Amino acid sequence: MKQNQDITRDRELLLGLAKGEDKSLEIIYSENFPVVLRMILQHNGSEDDAKDVFQEAIIVLYEKVQTSDFTLSSRLKTFLYSVCRHLWLKKVHRTYGLYALTPELEEVIPAAEELEEHEARDQEFRIMEGAMSSIGQPCQTILEDYYLHKKSMQEIAEKFGYTNAENAKNQKYKCLMRLKKLFFDQYKTPL
Amino acid sequence: MKEDMILLREIERYLEGEMSEQEKTAFETLRHTNPLVNKQVEEHQLFLQHLGNYGKRQQLQTKLNQIHQQLDMPSLRKQAQEENQTARRLTIRRRTITNLAAAACIALVTSLSTIAVIQNVSKNKSTAQYEDVRRVLNNIQRSQNAIISDMNSKSRAPLNPGTYGGTGFAVSGNGYIVTNYHVVAGADSVYVQNNKGEAFKAISIFEDISSDLAVLKIADSSFKSQPLPYALKPQSVKLGEEVFTMGFPRDEIVYGKGYISAKTGFNGDTTAYQVSIPVNPGNSGAPLLDSKGDVVGIVTGKQTTSDGIAFAVKSAHLKHLLDEMPKDKQTRKDWNHKSRLEGMNRVDQIKKLEDFVYMVKVYN
Repeated sequence: MKQNQDITRDRELLLGLAKGEDKSLEIIYSENFPVVLRMILQHNGSEDDAKDVFQEAIIVLYEKVQTSDFTLSSRLKTFLYSVCRHLWLKKVHRTYGLYALTPELEEVIPAAEELEEHEARDQEFRIMEGAMSSIGQPCQTILEDYYLHKKSMQEIAEKFGYTNAENAKNQKYKCLMRLKKLFFDQYKTPL
Repeated sequence: MKEDMILLREIERYLEGEMSEQEKTAFETLRHTNPLVNKQVEEHQLFLQHLGNYGKRQQLQTKLNQIHQQLDMPSLRKQAQEENQTARRLTIRRRTITNLAAAACIALVTSLSTIAVIQNVSKNKSTAQYEDVRRVLNNIQRSQNAIISDMNSKSRAPLNPGTYGGTGFAVSGNGYIVTNYHVVAGADSVYVQNNKGEAFKAISIFEDISSDLAVLKIADSSFKSQPLPYALKPQSVKLGEEVFTMGFPRDEIVYGKGYISAKTGFNGDTTAYQVSIPVNPGNSGAPLLDSKGDVVGIVTGKQTTSDGIAFAVKSAHLKHLLDEMPKDKQTRKDWNHKSRLEGMNRVDQIKKLEDFVYMVKVYN
């Protein structure tokens, strides 16, 4: 009964997360981070490791709730814990070579499937991030302002001191072309 | 470069819906006619989607970092450390206790079993693995009527099958029979019965516990002496030599064939051979004969831990025993002839032999 209630509450939180409500995100974060922190510390990780792993898990969760077919089958806590555990295992594997965690008694659900999808998305993100960082600061800011923060060309022109919006627009297209080129160079040949 | 940029601008305008109706139809025709343009449009759409994802994720990450900063890290850290320490202490304690308990258990079991094993070994060293092959005859129900009928016919042994059974064989023509000491040990009365069913009362006249042999003398007037067809071969036989035996593991004489598998007996006993031959309770005291039909040993027992391993006292000891026998009971002269079984096939040998192998019945 209690578990059902928990799941209902978890589902509400997830709905909020899907809508992009900061409150839900905050609750999910503050409620689940301590457990993950504890686990990572227990397995010879640092606080920063815990932060990275946990945030990645939140991103996984976020990506999941964005796709409409995701339904939470276990408790949110279990889900996050399992994902974090997998992520941490992977990280440890990458950095230290073979290294086995002590078997856990806590409830763990298989999270490998979730992570596979996430990895593909993560790859795309890294490519975009890399492309963004290599087009230079001014270009990056213009593109981010226009495409991500949805500012008008007029605002951008004023912010960067272009004489008119048209000039800013030209600059934006130049930047966009560079970014596109960089992105697709890597995207088509993913590692 | 310039054209690309113009195209890009057109695509953006198209996708963002900034084109007029006229421009839009023109652009769409261009898309249809020119696959390159079409590809560019699709690519751009995909790119914008990725860019959007990127933006969302970056935004999320910023939010996460903000939230993270709001967390009361020092207290969380402390809490986590404490919890982990408790957990570790618990596991360590639990582990120590488990280990100690396991060690104690092992020690206890080891010492107990050692004591048990030592006691057992010292007490039953031989009985554990060594088994006399005398037969325990306990079908007493047959005896009830038999005893009564026995009163009328004196020349016959009681039909009561006896308490123990073994095998014996003649060492002289005039009624001396050798069997195992353990067969007749503690006997009130002994009867021997040949394969024809003739039973004779016998008395034990000489016993040697160390070689587990006993000499019986038939003390029955109906017994007729006849010359022995075989001889005693006191020399040691070679390893692997084929031997055979005849005994009474049941009420019928049973033939068994095998070979000498070791020159010492149970636990390195030099007075005996190890013989690989099928042996069963009741075979005790049976003669062990070589292919020429000479007696080379007397079956005494078998190893219980493995099948097909039997032991037989060497014939040299039987000779020794017969030599030692009091002069008035001498049988020696009967042994000093050559075996008459040499060169015969086994079936004929057995036929000759079976009259001289007796079932020994012991009543006590």
